[in-house]
Amino acid sequence: MTRSCLIIILLTLSHYTHATTEVPGPSVILDNASCIQCHEQLNQPLIDDWRASSHAASNPVTDCVSCHGPLHNAIASHARRNDTCIHCHGGSKGPVSHSYLNSKHGILMQLETGDYNWNQKLENANYRAPSCAYCHMHAGNHQLRLQQTIQNACHDCHAPRYLSRQHLNGQEMYRIATLKIEEAETLIRQARPQYSRDELATTDNLLKQMQQHLRHVKLGIGHLSPDYQWWHGQPALDGDLLRIKGSIGELKREKEIGKIQSAESVNDTHSKTTRDHP
Amino acid sequence: MPVRYIWIPVLIATILVLMGFYYVSWSKSGDGAGLYSRNWNPTPVFAYWNPDDFYTSVKTVTGEFSGEQCIECHQSVTPGIVNDWKASRHSQADKKVYCNNCHGNNHEQLHMPTPDICATCHNVQYDQFMDEKKYGFPSHALAMERALDTKHFADKPKAEVTACLQCHSVATKCDSCHTRHRFSAAEARRPEACITCHSGPPHPDDETYFNSKHGQLYLNEGSNWDWNKPLTKNNYPAPTCAYCHMNSGKHQVADKSIWQFGIKQVNPLTSANQVKREQWIAICDDCHQNDVARNEFKKLDAERKMAWKKLYAAESILKNLRSQKLFYPTADERPRYPFSLLDKLRPHEHIGFFEGQASAFYNVSPVERDYFEMWYFDNLAAYKGAAHNDPSFIRKGHDAMDAKLIDITKQADKLIKLGSKEKSTGKEIKPGNLWFKGQYTEYNQVHN
Repeated sequence: MTRSCLIIILLTLSHYTHATTEVPGPSVILDNASCIQCHEQLNQPLIDDWRASSHAASNPVTDCVSCHGPLHNAIASHARRNDTCIHCHGGSKGPVSHSYLNSKHGILMQLETGDYNWNQKLENANYRAPSCAYCHMHAGNHQLRLQQTIQNACHDCHAPRYLSRQHLNGQEMYRIATLKIEEAETLIRQARPQYSRDELATTDNLLKQMQQHLRHVKLGIGHLSPDYQWWHGQPALDGDLLRIKGSIGELKREKEIGKIQSAESVNDTHSKTTRDHP
Repeated sequence: MPVRYIWIPVLIATILVLMGFYYVSWSKSGDGAGLYSRNWNPTPVFAYWNPDDFYTSVKTVTGEFSGEQCIECHQSVTPGIVNDWKASRHSQADKKVYCNNCHGNNHEQLHMPTPDICATCHNVQYDQFMDEKKYGFPSHALAMERALDTKHFADKPKAEVTACLQCHSVATKCDSCHTRHRFSAAEARRPEACITCHSGPPHPDDETYFNSKHGQLYLNEGSNWDWNKPLTKNNYPAPTCAYCHMNSGKHQVADKSIWQFGIKQVNPLTSANQVKREQWIAICDDCHQNDVARNEFKKLDAERKMAWKKLYAAESILKNLRSQKLFYPTADERPRYPFSLLDKLRPHEHIGFFEGQASAFYNVSPVERDYFEMWYFDNLAAYKGAAHNDPSFIRKGHDAMDAKLIDITKQADKLIKLGSKEKSTGKEIKPGNLWFKGQYTEYNQVHN
């Protein structure tokens, strides 16, 4: 009797102590304000991280509900999956996601996503392949894009020397790609005073395309996709760089031919006039 | 006939052959690798893509270790690879295959497992893989040589062309398809295992396969199939990349190759190609009636013939421009085609497969680059569409080729007109430094 009384008292107590921090049930539709209200008390640094993130600064803002959904059940495991990110980051065919999906990491994730236990934290190689969040929000870091966060994630599987070499090579590969852009920009800058806006329209468009290719190189390096580093990146940059040179070269050639011809026609008229009227 | 008429030419021929061998081995003995090894230095990351030539062990940890000791330490250093190994058949075999079996015991003399190390146990697959070399390019087994021996690879900055090695290392390490450290056969049977490399403009194998009925069936049902089964008849409701290209798990993709990479025209009806065709049709026969498959191959031949008609039309326009010296810039007004003695003596434009246009996609005039794209991208898109049964890519490729042909014709007309105008002025208007100066161009001149 005493024992059952004690159990009842304990259960009642536990009910009331929980009542103040009760986890909202699946039927409660959450909004961002209510998430923050609770989680600021539970985990202030997490909320601060999110506030400092590009998600919080985006317009429209990417808030708790955007990734975690409005219901409180399976709320973390839901947001950890790639679909959450890919939906906004250009879809699966867009370069941001496609460069990842085509990499070995992305391939493994596509093949094995159903085998993983998504209730595990994004750390300590709990997942065989890294998802978007495993690297960009490693260990649940909500600040995003922290170089260190990403590198920590790599170290869960790869050796330090391998990673430092990959990192340095990636930086150099990207620098080389930017040299192609700089070369194009210099040429256009030099051509600008000599030709009209219309004459340089083709060149300007090509430079815009080059910026896209540069972005592909960057994504290819970050997401480890040879296809984006190369075919959508470097040779594409080469192609548009030489087209810019071709376009400027052609303008220059036409202008110089025009100059010579007009000079000749002036000379012709002049010599004709002098002949006719000695 | 005096005997010297025989022995003198034989002696000269022998000396020339020996000199040839010596020259090739000399040219391969530089700090780089391949035919141009004396012209470039590797970057440190090459060690992982081409371990035989460039890998040296870390020296930070000393001592010899047993397999259990490796696992114990790496469980905390790099838990991911230990988890992988634990889930692999290597850890579940009666006689476990530990880290040290492939990497060595001495931590200062570690090595990266190359295919010959895997061959210690997987000798059947290794022999099949190496046997592929006798069929020539394109092949997995020759992929690394293919990259290293190309002129643009040797010429461009090495950090830039690291991108090439990531795929061409399929020749130097088995984990391109069987990712480390699980090395799963089931994983390599899935089409996705191929598409990290078999994607992008010159080989849209991913898109063309996934667009085809075969690929659609895979996308809709594939996750329910038992991937532990061998790639043989009745095991899979639809073919995957490996089902056709590596049927029965034969580690060879080159033995049946008829149209090959698609960048040169072949005669599909030679007796050797007829034998290959029968091998293909035998695989299609697993599901299709014989004449259905046969007919599909005829359609592929017809598509290829049409594509080459367009490509040759474009090539002849370019060759006409070249003969009249109408390219702007001409070959002597731009950086030389790399590593060609002939080009140093007499620069000329390289047009088409046999002249090495595959390495002439940069430092060329726009019209040449347009043909490169027509040949290397649009033509190959159409080819892969036809080979994988994706009508949308046949259409896309041919539409793009048609558009490029019209555009190349227009550009040629313009170059002809400008050329004759220039001639009428009696002066030659040179592009000057436009093609020799600039941040990347100058960097490339000193870095390769």
